[in-house]
Amino acid sequence: MQVDIQNLTKKFGNVVAVDSLNLDIKSGEFVAFLGPSGCGKTTTLLMVAGIYKPTDGIMRFGDVVVNQLQPRERNIGMVFQSYALYPHMTAYSNIAYPLKLKGISKNEQNIRVQRVADVMGIGHLLDRRPSQLSGGQQQRVALGRALVKEPDLLLFDEPLSNLDARLRLTMRGEIKHLQRDLGITSIYVTHDQIEALTMADRIAVMNQGKLEAFDTPEGLYERPKTLFIAGFVGNPPMNFVDVEVSQNGAGPVATNNDLKTHFTIDQVEKVLAHKGPVTMGIRPEDIVVDDGSDIRGEVYLVEPLGRDDLIDVRIGDTRMLALSDPKLKIQPGDTVGLRFNPERLQFYDPQTNQSLVW
Amino acid sequence: MTVTDPTMVAGPRKAPPLALGTALWRLLRDIVLLAVAMLGVSWVFREILANATSAVNVEESFTTVIADTMIFTLPFALVIVTALRSRSLLKNRRGLIIGITMLVALAVQTISVGQQALTQTGAYGTQTSVQFTTEQADEGVLVTAIEAGGAAEQAGILVGDVITAIRRDVVDKAALDTAILQSDDGAVLRFRLLRDGEEQQIPVTVTSISGVNTTSIYMGYVALFVTAILALAIPFGWIPYVLLISFLMPLFLGYAWLIIATFSQRTEGLLPVDTTGNFGGLTLDNWSFLSGQMGARNQLDIWGVTLNSAMIAVVMTVIVLLVASMAGYALSRMNFPGRRGFLSMTLILHSFPAVTLLIPIFIVLQNIGHIPLIGDLFGFNTIGGVALIMVAFELPLGIWLMKGFFDGISWDMERSAMIDGATRWRTFFEIILPQIRPGLLALGIFSFLGGWNTYLIPATFMVGTRTSNLPVLIRDLTGEMQPVNWNQVAAVGLYQLIPILLLFVFAQEYLLNIYAGGTKGSS
Repeated sequence: MQVDIQNLTKKFGNVVAVDSLNLDIKSGEFVAFLGPSGCGKTTTLLMVAGIYKPTDGIMRFGDVVVNQLQPRERNIGMVFQSYALYPHMTAYSNIAYPLKLKGISKNEQNIRVQRVADVMGIGHLLDRRPSQLSGGQQQRVALGRALVKEPDLLLFDEPLSNLDARLRLTMRGEIKHLQRDLGITSIYVTHDQIEALTMADRIAVMNQGKLEAFDTPEGLYERPKTLFIAGFVGNPPMNFVDVEVSQNGAGPVATNNDLKTHFTIDQVEKVLAHKGPVTMGIRPEDIVVDDGSDIRGEVYLVEPLGRDDLIDVRIGDTRMLALSDPKLKIQPGDTVGLRFNPERLQFYDPQTNQSLVW
Repeated sequence: MTVTDPTMVAGPRKAPPLALGTALWRLLRDIVLLAVAMLGVSWVFREILANATSAVNVEESFTTVIADTMIFTLPFALVIVTALRSRSLLKNRRGLIIGITMLVALAVQTISVGQQALTQTGAYGTQTSVQFTTEQADEGVLVTAIEAGGAAEQAGILVGDVITAIRRDVVDKAALDTAILQSDDGAVLRFRLLRDGEEQQIPVTVTSISGVNTTSIYMGYVALFVTAILALAIPFGWIPYVLLISFLMPLFLGYAWLIIATFSQRTEGLLPVDTTGNFGGLTLDNWSFLSGQMGARNQLDIWGVTLNSAMIAVVMTVIVLLVASMAGYALSRMNFPGRRGFLSMTLILHSFPAVTLLIPIFIVLQNIGHIPLIGDLFGFNTIGGVALIMVAFELPLGIWLMKGFFDGISWDMERSAMIDGATRWRTFFEIILPQIRPGLLALGIFSFLGGWNTYLIPATFMVGTRTSNLPVLIRDLTGEMQPVNWNQVAAVGLYQLIPILLLFVFAQEYLLNIYAGGTKGSS
């Protein structure tokens, strides 16, 4: 089932939580809402669920306008961060509850609960109460409850936040696998970009109630449309430097007081056409430690990440995060040369925060 | 590697044992401090505060009681503190600990006895006597020796006389001794005695002599040594329980008396006694009110009274639970104009004492009484009216309590239920209410007890010839028009307690059970 959201707005008093949001989610698509706390992603999800009534805008499920429909009339399943399992019911009753409310016969309930439980691998836990289950098991029960009524739309509200790191990794794979198998249109709210990048077909990045971008994970990472996305997506985060761009004999060049680098990206002319200073972005992995380079700085901090060392380099007043080979054994206080990959630079208008290469 | 001291390696480091001198010095310091403190408090209460409050002119004033208690408990406190402190200060020097404690017990009692001897108080006080010694014989009390020049000799009593009675009251040795001790100096006791098989009556003038009550001195030593041994022997972990039990003892004894009294004709302390004062006298007479007989004179509809009590309690519980849970839910979950005002108003209402509202409530009930049909159920002088008032008094607390419980349930729970397909009502009844079951039970029990035990409202608004409920009945039993049969009052009180006890026996598991949540983060 496709979901079409047009100009969706939600105000709480004078506070605008969601500001004219437009989204078009295809049938069977896995969409993640990504953004920092308080960006309006959960509010949007709750409006889709029918818990909140939108202040303005239209929501369509398929061809049906659902603005005025109650949650129970929308045929959706939802998994909460807190799982929201009913503590006074067994796992079985929890999963069967949506079916009971639909008035499905006991026999049919039993069959369907068993089927879902087998898919989730919790068949042996059905007579336990939520308090007797581990976090991961509770999560599976919650997922089973959301799936059992065969919903047209599956909503996830940061479902993995309360799990430990290892379990989170496992559940991530399982949810993605399940969603793909069942082909249920899904919306997944998270503030964890790794979750969004690894699971979603497309990611809606939100900031302060507004949609910043709605793109595939690759698109967001490779060609961030706004400064916010560039800074938010990717870990360690992208470096930003204010530079002037100009054309000299060797080609386009970006300079400021501390550094000077050539660049050879597509749509160079758009960048060069821009009047005034621009913000240049470069990801740490696109910086190479090269003692032959002109850009030299002092290492301020070294954080071993295992495969790489993350080094914090001061080039005059400019700070740069770069990844280096641990074999180089760079120490704080060392002077190193840095070379930027000229094809991987991003340029933004510091006034509008929009990308100059889009 | 050298072998390290095991105490340095394993476990948390303990403080090194104190040097013997330091330990003894601290012990001495603590004992002296305690003694000075208790004597000081006693002195302050007796000398200063007693004078300050003397205007009140109470014979056994509060202040003297405290002062006396301090003096009485001082030896015991000293012995206990010595035992406990030396155990913690001297650690493993067991012989020394026992020695010091016993020494202190001995010293304290000796000092106390010496002080009594000097001031001629306590065991050394004067007592009334007729100056002879006796023993119990078959026919009566046999006089075995007579003090030369004493009261008995002056009265003409001879060795070998057998005392049978004082005036017409037959006595044994114990009763005789008591009678002598309780007489005033100079009082005349008329002994009826047998001399050579002949009955005679001889008046004896009781005189006051200064005597030593050796028994009480020995008992003092024994009590202190027993205390010392107990204080030396109990594990430190038990001390809180020992304290708890000693503080709760009056309560336990009170309930013990209540139960014993209901089955006895009279009680002497906790012992059931019959009308002549001998052990025994167990009876079910006090419970005769269950058959509708109140004493010899009054008829009583006990079941009607009980039913009234039960009806007030049940009606109140049901209505309070229903209204408070719904109102609490609305206040916790919904936003509507006047919500804050409503909340603060209920809080203010809760703090109104019922007494201040008696007259306005009377007017309200009177007016309700004028409404046809409803007036017969909820007007003045009806059970319904009383229940209505009680509900009104209980609701503010109930609403706040319920709101608190609802606040503790996460919004996600409701959202989840509504997405699962439940209506708001179904969510409330099937998902939310079951989760606050402990709260409902607590409020239900509060309400039930409140309704069951209520006195003021039924006593005020159910008047005339109709008896209202059990508390009012108990009040009627202690009225001024007739001698009060306290054992019967106790029986009715115990009868009133039965449902409460049952309630607690069966519900305490629910009350103590902290409901384990299925929500992550709630425990």
